Amino acid sequence: MFGLIGHLTSLSHAQKVAERLGFKEYADNDLEFWCMAPPQVVDEITVTSITGQQIKGHYVESCFLPEMLSSGKVKAACRKILNAMALAQKWGIDITALGGFSSIIFENFRLEALKRVRDIDLEIRRFTTGNTHTAYIICQQAVSACKHYGINLSQAAVAVIGATGDIGSAVCRWLSQRCDVSKLLLVARDQERLQNLQGDLGQGTILPLEAALPQADVIIWVASLSQGIPVDLAALRDPCIVIDGGYPKNMANLMQRPGLHVIDGGMVEHALDIDWNIMQFLNVANPARQLFACFAESMLLEFEGLHTNFSWGRNHITVAKMEEIGALSRKHGFRPVMPA
Amino acid sequence: MVTLEMLASLANLGGSLRGDPKSSYPTGSTRLHKIPHGSPMITLQETTAAPQSLDYQSSAYRDAYARINAIVIEGEVEASDNYLRLAELVPDAAEELRKLARMEQKHMKGFQACAKNLNVEPDMPFAKAFFQELHNNFQRAAAAGDLTTCFVIQSLLIECFAIAAYNIYIPVADPFARKITEGVVKDEYLHLNFGEMWLQQRFPEVKAGIEQANATNLPLIWKMLNQVDKDVEVLGMDREAIVEDFMIAYGEALSKIGFSTRDVMRLSAQGLRAA
Repeated sequence: MFGLIGHLTSLSHAQKVAERLGFKEYADNDLEFWCMAPPQVVDEITVTSITGQQIKGHYVESCFLPEMLSSGKVKAACRKILNAMALAQKWGIDITALGGFSSIIFENFRLEALKRVRDIDLEIRRFTTGNTHTAYIICQQAVSACKHYGINLSQAAVAVIGATGDIGSAVCRWLSQRCDVSKLLLVARDQERLQNLQGDLGQGTILPLEAALPQADVIIWVASLSQGIPVDLAALRDPCIVIDGGYPKNMANLMQRPGLHVIDGGMVEHALDIDWNIMQFLNVANPARQLFACFAESMLLEFEGLHTNFSWGRNHITVAKMEEIGALSRKHGFRPVMPA
Repeated sequence: MVTLEMLASLANLGGSLRGDPKSSYPTGSTRLHKIPHGSPMITLQETTAAPQSLDYQSSAYRDAYARINAIVIEGEVEASDNYLRLAELVPDAAEELRKLARMEQKHMKGFQACAKNLNVEPDMPFAKAFFQELHNNFQRAAAAGDLTTCFVIQSLLIECFAIAAYNIYIPVADPFARKITEGVVKDEYLHLNFGEMWLQQRFPEVKAGIEQANATNLPLIWKMLNQVDKDVEVLGMDREAIVEDFMIAYGEALSKIGFSTRDVMRLSAQGLRAA
């Protein structure tokens, strides 16, 4: 059995979803209530591979909301993730993907030190961040989009924004080793990490964001910024491909200009309908088939009986592991989401 | 020109953790809120792993402890009395119920020792008053032979409340009390299980009764918790965490008994908003 630990985008989103599902107590309540709300297993999922194999899973709503972090409710946020993981384990779920903020909170607040949750010792091997599959899919999306929009990678500049993150660094490794990219532009905040990455890759140009963007034919955005920054859309190249690797996928709405092609990064589409309800609440274009690649990773691991934390920790994703998960992704009927 | 505020929520988190009063969650309509995959954006200024430094000998701590410890002792007394009363009402399970009562008495003695260890006199009159309403409801139900309500009050509400409070207390307890509480909480799970099984075996006939007992008595639990809000904080416990832990234990129990997830979410949150 596989599991997905997810959460909603904001308090207002959560209230709307709760109302649509008929959970009045949750719909009517404010952030303080959500800080106390326990995780719930709210959906049963059946996925059929194109091989004919069928697996079952569960969606665990952690009741975490991003506002918990922005309002300083860090303890509540950490509790949500640990309690959701404990619930997944209690349900006997063999491999669970930590979606959205879940894995970031686990890693950044070092929750590994708190593995005892009430009467449960968390078994980390039961959980995966799903980042390997996400990184693989983002790379595939970049390559396909270049073909689609007539950009020759061997003459193109690719900027990876957030290059030193878990996914960013994996994307850089893939681009370095598997693609004949003309110029790889590395953008991140931490200069030391950037230099280490550049050293490991044996290539790449370290640039500040504002210098990298106008030079890039492809922008792979898997990062955060500490403050709002003005982006001059007119200064971006034409054509220019933007892979939106964050969550929620909202760059397509904001970055609109002829010749600018924004793709929802790290999203996959399954060849067959998935039997589930929760996806209709997560604002994806085709809820029966589209999902986050990190979620799909737990399905792939379940299909293969690989009940192990395939993606865990920071900067451990190798090109070989990306290829491995990529092959499984194709085998079972997933493909990267691309514009129509 | 468009302003991209990528990952505004996490960005602001950095500010808020540093105590930056200017940081707040973005309300602008065109801002982008981004969650990066694997971003190091969160500043590690605070972690739940850090043990809180509590002065167990301070007068503030011991003052709060006098009430909380008394509640715990009285809770165990109530539990023991309730199980003995249930043993009279359910002869088939009398032996098992008397065994549970004996365990609760043992717990009570353990918690009395915790008070002695900190040289604290438990405020028993406060604790008696604290439990009065719930106590009366149990007695009324027992007198009327309403076993469902009796089991909901004792085996679900009191046991889950105890489990939640003990779980949250253990990491911040003084070493002596921690050891005792760790032993107690294991027993309380067993007690919860007894009530769950009893109600589960009769689910169709007791379902409506459980809902009724829940509607009457769960709001009392929230009210009781509110009364000791400040004391709980002085002991280093987090009220939100207690409520969440309670809802987890109580929700699991309701689910085992036979309620659907939808029912569990409704029942376990009942009255919380008004509290």
